[in-house]
Amino acid sequence: MNRDRINKILNQIPTHFIIIFMILIWVVPTLGLLITSLRPVQAVNTSGWWTVLSPPRGSAEYNQYCASCHGVEGIAITNADLTDPELISRFPRSLQLLATLRADINSQPHMQDTPVPEDQAAADIAVHLKKISGIDEQPRFTFSNYIDALVGYRGTRSYQKDCAAGTAPLDIHCDTSDLLNPRGMGRAFVNSLLVTIPATFLPILFAAFAGYAFAWLDFKGRFLLFSILVGLQVVPLQMTLVPISRLYAQLGLNGTFLGVWLFHTGFGMPYAIYLMRNFLGSLPRDLFESAYLDGASHWTAFYQLVIPLAMPAIASLGIFQFLWVWNDLLVALVFLGGTTPVMTYQISNMVTSLGAGWQLLTASAFLSMLLPMIVFFALQRYFVRGMLAGAVKG
Amino acid sequence: MKKLPLQIFALVLLAAMLLTACGGTATEAPPATEAPAATEAPAATEAPGADDLCMGAVAGDEVSLLYQWSGQEEERLNQILQPLVDACGLVLKPESTRDQALLDTRVQAGTPPDIAFWNVTQLTQYEDKLFAMDALGASADAYIPGAIDSGVINGKWLGLPVKSDIKTIIWYSPVNFAAAGYTVPTTWEELDALVEKMVADGNVPWSMGIESGDATGWTGSDFLQDILLVQQGPEYVMNIINGTVSYDDAGVVQAYETYGKWATDPVYAVGGAQGTLSTGFLDAIHKPFSDPAEAMMVKQSGFAGGEIKATYADLEFGTDYDFFVVPGARGLQGGSDWMMAFSDSAAVNALVAYLSSPEGGANWAKASFDLSPNKGAAGNYTDPSLIKKAEAFYNSQGFTPDIGDSIPGGFGSAEWKAIVDYLNGGDLATALAGAAAVQAEALK
Repeated sequence: MNRDRINKILNQIPTHFIIIFMILIWVVPTLGLLITSLRPVQAVNTSGWWTVLSPPRGSAEYNQYCASCHGVEGIAITNADLTDPELISRFPRSLQLLATLRADINSQPHMQDTPVPEDQAAADIAVHLKKISGIDEQPRFTFSNYIDALVGYRGTRSYQKDCAAGTAPLDIHCDTSDLLNPRGMGRAFVNSLLVTIPATFLPILFAAFAGYAFAWLDFKGRFLLFSILVGLQVVPLQMTLVPISRLYAQLGLNGTFLGVWLFHTGFGMPYAIYLMRNFLGSLPRDLFESAYLDGASHWTAFYQLVIPLAMPAIASLGIFQFLWVWNDLLVALVFLGGTTPVMTYQISNMVTSLGAGWQLLTASAFLSMLLPMIVFFALQRYFVRGMLAGAVKG
Repeated sequence: MKKLPLQIFALVLLAAMLLTACGGTATEAPPATEAPAATEAPAATEAPGADDLCMGAVAGDEVSLLYQWSGQEEERLNQILQPLVDACGLVLKPESTRDQALLDTRVQAGTPPDIAFWNVTQLTQYEDKLFAMDALGASADAYIPGAIDSGVINGKWLGLPVKSDIKTIIWYSPVNFAAAGYTVPTTWEELDALVEKMVADGNVPWSMGIESGDATGWTGSDFLQDILLVQQGPEYVMNIINGTVSYDDAGVVQAYETYGKWATDPVYAVGGAQGTLSTGFLDAIHKPFSDPAEAMMVKQSGFAGGEIKATYADLEFGTDYDFFVVPGARGLQGGSDWMMAFSDSAAVNALVAYLSSPEGGANWAKASFDLSPNKGAAGNYTDPSLIKKAEAFYNSQGFTPDIGDSIPGGFGSAEWKAIVDYLNGGDLATALAGAAAVQAEALK
């Protein structure tokens, strides 16, 4: 018995190892994205996110080469006060610093017996000096990427700095109205919700009706119709962009929310109907027969029996459709475009065409991940149940 | 327990309905570029001037724009267009994407944007759908000689070159050069000697990273074209573009060998072949300016200056970073973004006339949005690096367009693939033969 248990545990180790490995593969890049989005832009461009918790650059080197004379605080020699910004601004980088370290002071070597530091160490010391003199004090973490992304700041510094200096770009007013700036992620969040909620609700509603009809209404050609609908899943979305754009142009639906809802509804329904029919078809026939015997109409049966019973399937469909629409760029780009930008569109436009400003992209990506994560965690217990919907006859 | 999901469902439905109701008003809210209060005042006070400028466009006229710019670039474009928007009350409906499929979809669906800012090849692609620039009020005299030549398709002038950049330049750090005792080379031989001297000093001369996702290789193609301009001259490059010279010609082979000697050797380029292939082109720009410097030079287009400044805010142009024109290059490699009109509405007229006017050129320069071939831009640049770039631009012996951009039919990607294959240790003749086949097919 005891042996069995040990064997069991031993047998599980490889599985656990693989699972943990898979989790790491998925989680590490996301963690990197999160950390990057919280770092100041200069730090992002000069060092990797994994260095974020390493000790501040240059302090060890400073202690090794300089602290014995200048003191740990840098103020031990009064006429060479290393916390004086004016003095330090003359040695911004290793080049200038090394030049003075190699030169003589009062006809004595500057470093006396200590060897002159290597290039890399000198560069690190220069960074440390800039920090203790207050020339270049960078926080380790900052929310400025998130603020810039939310208000759609497109300048060269940051929203807070520009607003403080009064040099804000054209479309920034430095008040709460910036939250509704059409270039910002804040406004895009609202637009994304406006697109996603109806585009999730409509296909599920229709699919629930259709699934009930295919499963429990007896009519001619039922199976043929169902096969055709399921077969429609093979139509690639990209192929229909041009014809539907043309149709929408005639109907005046281009650039409207209605157009996007209809498009997503159309493309979401074949799979949704397939899943709903299989789920509803697996419910026991007796249930419906006794309901009909008791005088229930189809509508009553649908509303009072099917909807509550089909909740797992509806929830999992909801998650699928929600994530698909929320993360969709193509349809939103073609049918909504830049006039009512959704989050995916806005994310791709945070960086310039040459990729500059990508620290904003990391923050924007995280903002757009928030809601799907909430939805997923809120509905996740339905997720697996729903995936299996209709797979096993109950 | 069972009722809870139902309630959530009802709530979601309610929220959807509420938001939809709000959606109606949200879509009608004016975009930020429109400033209703500001539009009327100038129109009333400067009526004659505004009439001239607006070409009959009235307040509220909409212009849809499609371009590849985004982020800071979009902000600069807005600055440039703001005077016109204010004077005429135009409502801009901008869309930004780097996906050409969107432009193609829009045009095929019969709903093209009024104005697109795109590449020169689209002028040929949409030749029969575009409106001629001279008919829209643009004046060819407003541009420096030769600037609009590639925009004339079969005798029709279909595009305005709005934003130009020069590619035949090398960025370096004057401070580092001075410390090591290097001087800026003026001939290719001097550059070659300088590179060898750097190697002898134990410095790495080049930062050559070309990684750029599925466009990996474009940085290399720029470098190769500059070498061609040095070794063979501009006519040779134009002959590649028109197909007279095949892409596997001996001159091209020589250029690849010159490039490969540097790009694949860790002594000459950071990381050797693997470093070149796997370092992002933006990271490659940073390397000569990091502390301590990882390389001495990087060959990159004019935009690199902005990237350096954004990463190392404390560096100053002229002392800490600067560029020189590739020594010995006959003419410059330059690229433009082209403005094309799918509509001839009054508002489009106004926009075309404004951007091709001296005032439009001057405002383009003031916004520091790269270079403008519009004569009005000269003397109006404020950014020191743009002033120097403009000098090289105006003094150039001539321009050659990017080979990859100018040959249609996917030649650009074939060229990149040849570069990547070659750097990966593939056979040069095979790599070039592949690109030459695409070139021959495209120009048949």
